[in-house]
Amino acid sequence: MSVKAAASSIPKAVKAGLVLSRVPIVTPELNALENKYYQYQAELERRLMWTFPSYFYFKKGTLAERRFQSVQKGVISKQPGVWFPKGVPDVRHNRERSQKQDIMLPREASEGSNKSDVSRPIVPNSRTTKADENNDITSLDRKLDRTLHLLVKDDKGSWVLPSFPVDIEAKEGKKALHETAEVGLRKIGGEDINTWTVSNTPAGVLQSEKDLQFLIKSHIIAGEFKLKDEKSIKEFAWLTKDEIKKAVDERYFNSIQYVLAEN
Amino acid sequence: MLASAASRKNALKVVQPSLNFVRGKRTKSKGGLNPQAQRIITQLSVMSASRKQPKLLKLSREDLIKHDMIQACWAQYQRELREKRTNLLKLQYENIEEAMNLLEQVDPELYEMANAEESGKRVPLELRVPTQYPPNNVWYYDYKKKD
Repeated sequence: MSVKAAASSIPKAVKAGLVLSRVPIVTPELNALENKYYQYQAELERRLMWTFPSYFYFKKGTLAERRFQSVQKGVISKQPGVWFPKGVPDVRHNRERSQKQDIMLPREASEGSNKSDVSRPIVPNSRTTKADENNDITSLDRKLDRTLHLLVKDDKGSWVLPSFPVDIEAKEGKKALHETAEVGLRKIGGEDINTWTVSNTPAGVLQSEKDLQFLIKSHIIAGEFKLKDEKSIKEFAWLTKDEIKKAVDERYFNSIQYVLAEN
Repeated sequence: MLASAASRKNALKVVQPSLNFVRGKRTKSKGGLNPQAQRIITQLSVMSASRKQPKLLKLSREDLIKHDMIQACWAQYQRELREKRTNLLKLQYENIEEAMNLLEQVDPELYEMANAEESGKRVPLELRVPTQYPPNNVWYYDYKKKD
């Protein structure tokens, strides 16, 4: 019904809004429940796993076999006339059958950490970056496990999604909404930016008294948003959904919340 | 006589076996299997369950109740997540529908363009799949526009 009402009134200006997002780079943080459950399942799986066939991997009588055997914990074997509080041992292939098997791999003594050495220990990169420490909201390196959205500060000083006016009166070569959004983004953010527009279809609409803003979803793939048009835009920021909720006013957030990614 | 003795000596010289030492040759036969057959048996035994299966898991009544509780909790958690996701999808669809209806009223030409078929559109290969830890170079900043 609101659609009919909007159409019957005087034609409003049409704008193409842009929801530019950076997809997460690392997997989401596990919560306490997920952590505990995965741990439990992993332990169950290890308990029910077949015995490791070390005789297949280490030939009998070789040095490699001896090195492997020397780091194994060893098992308690059955003795006549001995009482075992945890049940009589049932050992097959050096494994206590009623328990999980812990396999230790012999560590070679490393001769200095050589970066090109293939067998060097694996050190994963940190999931938090410098931008997180400095809380640099203009950086694309921040909050690697969340989706970031581009927001700009308009001349009134409030954070909004970037939007670009569509020329409806153009007789020839009318630009589609997604094209307007792509061209507009390059005007305010520089040409050296690689984006992928999800669809030509708008994902939502923001209605105000003056204009209608159709939201186009897009992902940034490479490059950087460098502020070019400093007259109409004061600042820009890459924010998560939670941060957007704090930064913008409630009515605006309610109208855009389903377009933003949960995490 | 003499000649025959000499000829026998010669024959001995010719026949005398030379000792051939072979490294790694088995001196005691074990099980009487040749190495090829032994290798096949080892390889098959890796895949077979015999002597490698752990004991059956026998849970006490209390442990069984605990296990069932954990599984029920997980199922409920997953159901809640699924419902949340379905609900979000529904709301997103309604948002799209509202936008498209409005666009049709406001500007039919823009609506046509927004509704155009996009067959063959692919997700770009450069878009990364999230991993557990970030890459060495977190973001590719030095992108230059291609003409």
